[in-house]
Amino acid sequence: MEPAMDKGIHIEGLSKRYGAGDTAVDALKEVNMSVAPGEVIGLVGPSGSGKTTLLKCLGAVIEPTRGRMTLGGEVIYEQGWKIPDLRALRRDRIGFVFQAPYLIPFLDVTDNVALLPMLAGRSNSESRARALELLQTLDVAHRARAQISELSGGEQQRVSIARALANRPPVILADEPTAPLDSERALTVMRILNQMARQYQTAIIVVTHDEKIIPTFKRIYHIRDGRTVEEAGEGREIS
Amino acid sequence: MINLAGRDILHSWGKFVLTGMGLGLLIGVTLTMAGVYRGMVDDAKVLLTNSGADLWVVQKDTQGPYAESSSIKDDVYRQILGLAGVARAANVTYLTMQVRHGDKDERTMVVGFEPDQPGEPGYLVAGRRLVRGHYEAIADVKTGFRLGERIRIRRHDYEVVGLTSRMVSSGGDPMVFIPLKDAQEAQFLKDNDAIIGDRARTAANPSLNRPGVPGLLDAINASQSSNRNVNAVLVRVEAGTAPDAVAKEIRRWKHLEAYTGTQMEDILIAKLIATAAKQIGMFLAILVIVSAAIVAFIIYTMTLGKIREIAVLKLIGTHNRTISAMILQQAVGLGLIGFAVGKIAATLWAPAFPKFVLLEPADAISGFVIVMVVCALASTLAIHAALKVDPAEAIGG
Repeated sequence: MEPAMDKGIHIEGLSKRYGAGDTAVDALKEVNMSVAPGEVIGLVGPSGSGKTTLLKCLGAVIEPTRGRMTLGGEVIYEQGWKIPDLRALRRDRIGFVFQAPYLIPFLDVTDNVALLPMLAGRSNSESRARALELLQTLDVAHRARAQISELSGGEQQRVSIARALANRPPVILADEPTAPLDSERALTVMRILNQMARQYQTAIIVVTHDEKIIPTFKRIYHIRDGRTVEEAGEGREIS
Repeated sequence: MINLAGRDILHSWGKFVLTGMGLGLLIGVTLTMAGVYRGMVDDAKVLLTNSGADLWVVQKDTQGPYAESSSIKDDVYRQILGLAGVARAANVTYLTMQVRHGDKDERTMVVGFEPDQPGEPGYLVAGRRLVRGHYEAIADVKTGFRLGERIRIRRHDYEVVGLTSRMVSSGGDPMVFIPLKDAQEAQFLKDNDAIIGDRARTAANPSLNRPGVPGLLDAINASQSSNRNVNAVLVRVEAGTAPDAVAKEIRRWKHLEAYTGTQMEDILIAKLIATAAKQIGMFLAILVIVSAAIVAFIIYTMTLGKIREIAVLKLIGTHNRTISAMILQQAVGLGLIGFAVGKIAATLWAPAFPKFVLLEPADAISGFVIVMVVCALASTLAIHAALKVDPAEAIGG
């Protein structure tokens, strides 16, 4: 295995079965996937193909049935979770970007981003400084004290990306982050994700069936009936 | 760390304040109910305190004069005065009646007393004491009478010459004090028509109207038109004398019942208002349960409205205890707003109640503790719902 790939996220033979006996459903079947630090890959497939299940396994919110997962070079799953505190794993080492931003409406922009470092035990001042730095990088620092309801959809998505990056996780899982956006904004979000992946050396997995952004991936994993097939993407540059 | 509950409250403070005010009015009603009970107890104690007696001597085998009717002869006090340890003894009468005031009736307790004796109102807020033997009255300000006004009691008018305050019966009716002789007449004597009727019946009765016994009919008629009864004798004992010891002597030698202040308080509070107290207790219990249900419902609904945010919080690694604390703090916050509103509301509307409502600071403290406990308990339902939220709900459909 290449050293860079070893530091990203790597899964081998990951399976997930729901139920048992005659009613058992195999949502994932021997899935293999590798994403290197700084890389953005697409995970595409029709509804019911297993995309969300795979994302939940990667996000340590449901337990796979078998297989192996490494994150940042550390085995996190192999016949059971190897990390005792999955909550801390999600907090410190996995970033999440959702279809809708799902920001906390009663916190302002800065505190939405600073919440994660605070939860990780960092001081308020350090957390807010890190949040402001990320907001500047994502070009929304001018809305730092704004309430979430005052932001446009694009600004909210940028803030949610900043939140995902707040604890400098080695991997970000983005669940259809461009679905509610028009073409221009969708491509802007993809440009930001690529930029952040490079800048923070984060592996980003984007679950999507958005035709607008699929050409931007250099590598794409197609998932169908619980199995993945890797193929090269167009890797089109986003202006 | 950010105080999530505080931020949520600040973010939607209007909703919180309005909800808290609604809850507060309910808490206000609860505090007022407690105040009504305290007022009843206080009325009972005031009645005893204001009578200025150490002992109440009443008819044998009764719990008079407040809880039961009692009738004793008005010369009994002389015998009591002769007992060792008795400093003063005076007759009193109590009669609850409707007194006409303008175009409406006031429910009052008419007290007959002897000037400078136990039973006289201890202080006046206006006017003077009774100086004439008849047809003067002292009224509690709550009756609405003013100095110089005339009160119609039975057959006679009484001029209000003094006003007193907090002189009420155990039922909260304001008192009107009149001279003992007038009160005896008002309570025990019949009206003119009834007297004429009685005289005719007596004259028609051959056993009472004997031709051979001159003066018998007049004597019987005279006895029928006079009354020597009172309801109780109020006794003040000499300094250093135990009221219990004097009460024991009265019971033994005079064949009367005598109650000390403690015993009379027991009769008034534990017996006379016991049913009302239970009634209020039931109301209080129901109000506490209703308040708890409302808080639980509000907090639960508010939590359900944040399920997605809670799922996200859990997904990004927020501890269950942080989420629980957020909900608990919101419930307690709601309780704080509710209690403040309730206390203010109760304080503002208590004086408007027709009967005395006594809002004790101790009740307010107990109420505050109960509200906090109820809010904390009520939040458990919402906390349970929040802890059941699967962080996976934040991902995908």
